[in-house]
Amino acid sequence: MKPVVRKSVSQAGLTRFVCLIAVLATVGLLPWLSGRDPALTVLRARSAEQEATPEALAAIREDLGLDAGPLSLLGDWASGLLRGDLGTSWVSGTDVLPSVVSGVQVSLGLMGAAFAVAVLLACALVAPVLVRGRGSTGAFAAMLAAVPEFLLATVALLVCGVWLGWLPTSGWAGPEYMVLPAIALGVPAGGLLGRLVADALPAVLDERWVELWRGAGVSRARVSAAALRRVLPPLVPQFGMAAVGLTGGAVAVETVFAVPGIGRTALGAAKSQDLPLLQGSVLALLALGLVAGALAALGRRRLLGPALRDAGLTLPAAHPVRAHPAVPLILAVVLMVTIGWGLLRDPYTVDTTARLLPPSWAHPLGTDGLGRDVLARLGHGAASTVGTAAAVCAFSLLLSLALGFLPGVAAGAADIANALPPVIVGILVAAAAGPGTGGAALAVALISWPALSAHAAALVQEVRASMFLTAQRAIGASPLWILTRHVLPSVAAPVTRHAILRLPGIALALAALGFLGLGAQPPAPEWGLLLDESRAYVERAPWAALAPAVALALLAGLAVSGAAYAQGRTGGRRTGEAGRARITKEEASVEVAVRADV
Amino acid sequence: MSDALLDVRDLVVRYGTVTAVDHVSFTVDAGETLALNGPSGCGKSSTVAAVLQLRRPEGGEVRFEGRELTTLAERELRPLRPRMQPVFQDPYGSLSPRHRIRDAVAEPLKVQGRWNPADGPARVAELLDRVGLDPAYGDRFPHELSGGQCQRAGIARALASEPRLLVLDEPVSALDPSIRAGVLNLLTDLQDELGLAYLFICHDRAVVRHFADRAIEMRAGRLVTA
Repeated sequence: MKPVVRKSVSQAGLTRFVCLIAVLATVGLLPWLSGRDPALTVLRARSAEQEATPEALAAIREDLGLDAGPLSLLGDWASGLLRGDLGTSWVSGTDVLPSVVSGVQVSLGLMGAAFAVAVLLACALVAPVLVRGRGSTGAFAAMLAAVPEFLLATVALLVCGVWLGWLPTSGWAGPEYMVLPAIALGVPAGGLLGRLVADALPAVLDERWVELWRGAGVSRARVSAAALRRVLPPLVPQFGMAAVGLTGGAVAVETVFAVPGIGRTALGAAKSQDLPLLQGSVLALLALGLVAGALAALGRRRLLGPALRDAGLTLPAAHPVRAHPAVPLILAVVLMVTIGWGLLRDPYTVDTTARLLPPSWAHPLGTDGLGRDVLARLGHGAASTVGTAAAVCAFSLLLSLALGFLPGVAAGAADIANALPPVIVGILVAAAAGPGTGGAALAVALISWPALSAHAAALVQEVRASMFLTAQRAIGASPLWILTRHVLPSVAAPVTRHAILRLPGIALALAALGFLGLGAQPPAPEWGLLLDESRAYVERAPWAALAPAVALALLAGLAVSGAAYAQGRTGGRRTGEAGRARITKEEASVEVAVRADV
Repeated sequence: MSDALLDVRDLVVRYGTVTAVDHVSFTVDAGETLALNGPSGCGKSSTVAAVLQLRRPEGGEVRFEGRELTTLAERELRPLRPRMQPVFQDPYGSLSPRHRIRDAVAEPLKVQGRWNPADGPARVAELLDRVGLDPAYGDRFPHELSGGQCQRAGIARALASEPRLLVLDEPVSALDPSIRAGVLNLLTDLQDELGLAYLFICHDRAVVRHFADRAIEMRAGRLVTA
């Protein structure tokens, strides 16, 4: 078996390398990919007086190296990169590097504070489990983990900043400016980490050694510390993914609170088509994500030591939160009734005499800044968001089924896809193709497949290793017969169910892109866009912002409770150690997937 | 050159540096039962996999009905496979959990192009009846049958390929002692009726003495004189 393992590892390493190069090349080729002529922009930025003659424009094109073709453009960019030269901003004409460095400094400060918030929250969620010895954090942590950063940021801004006036809501002038952004960024990550640890702990505390230690008079604190050490290693990679999620969340949070960090710089550069600045800041965000992932992998190796090499570990089985089926059902019914009601109304009619009206019988959820009915826009927005999300789901399903048969290739590519938050891919796609629903869908589709393909690969491996497939070969069945009659049917059904579970998470990711202006464009009634548009009027018409916020929160709840319910069912039906360990991995991947989509 | 149904010569199976089967030779004549006996880990199952060409051996010859199998390509081998059918130890593991018994028994007919809708179902019912299963069980899934019933279904499926040799890899060791005798009697009856040859893998000497015409014994990958 050994040579096979080594081969697939090196294959994964090769694909990882190829994918990384592909991502870097995409970043480097942005000016060529976007296909837009920046000469006029650059000319206007450099000198307002100069006449826009064809000669002047041609000189600028030559100066930027745009005429030289993609390969030499990429070569110039890469050689500049190696010398530490990120180029010159097309808009301001200044060097990109200092802007990137200052942005990274601000963002690192914010992420550090957010990480502290996350760890504090995780400790608060885990402590009761350690004290009581059993039980789980339940639905509360699940909800915290599922609420997207941009929603939390908007609500925090509204409540603490605007209504209560406790804390400053925009800028970066002192420690007090850090509080709200750090909470908005840290709470979802803390909810996820706390929940993962708290769900895994009861099983560990049930293990025989705990009884033995307690019987031998070992103190409770030492038993707790040992139990934590036992729980952490399998979860560390997911901590890394949570850290990657922070880089994506930073874009939204920095935008909401006007923090001059690297995320906001990247988004601003994408919107103003300042591609060198965009390349620099996306590169910095990617580096942050990759470093976080590498640190997590290193930490896991240190924690496990030789046990990892000798494959001498047994995974503690997780006790997932078993959601009552009524919870996702009620959430789904509430959402569907609202959407159905909204669909019967007209979302586009502008009535300037009816601007920012409070809820009434004529407008059950009030009207927005242009006098459009909020309920109607909510309903129509859901239809398009869910439709797009379904298309994205179908795409990732097909891709993951195909990749399930190439686990080596899939693993390497998945590592890179996991290191890319959807927001950053969204920025890249929007910079190359312009913002739009299609681009947002592509961005989410590009990175939403790893969890599905890991699931498919595990199932393919299991089916292929089973005796009855050997029996198929013995009757003289062809590989095609075995594939279509036996392997695909056993893999497709569970992976499809998994894909459907991810639908709300994908819809949330699309809403996040819409919120940042990278997805659907006005006047389309997309939920993220609705929330963004209503932010301007939160003081006068909070209901216009609350309606999409509550709808998104319900969707987040649906994502988590639906996933937990389905896991509870699959977990209960399976028996056998191997099956349980696999399910645990699968659950964790669903969990992280819901989180990573946002 | 012998005219035995199955003639295995100097069979070698290696996993990396470990030699699981070390120059093993034996023959099985038509209509005969040869027991291959030995403790667990001695290379019995590797021998079975290599004889069935489910795993290509590292050395030696496997001659079946006079044809050398080890040099044949998978495509050339496929039409010959039905003549030599396995029955595995785990009665549930050898049937797809997703298919009804009826479909599992019909599958060899479909794969081998001998299925027609007119008399196919009757053929399946006849096969189930022959192994002592009520044809009504055809509607069930493997997990709805007992271990013994499942093993009978597995035998019915093997018979559907119209084999001359059954390779029985510990077919009764996963079953209750009370069920074993029934399955062994069934196998004896089938041999008398159909003239089947058996390569019978076993580690229970008592069963071997009752059931087999000849017995050979393996230890640590080699044959020892019985």
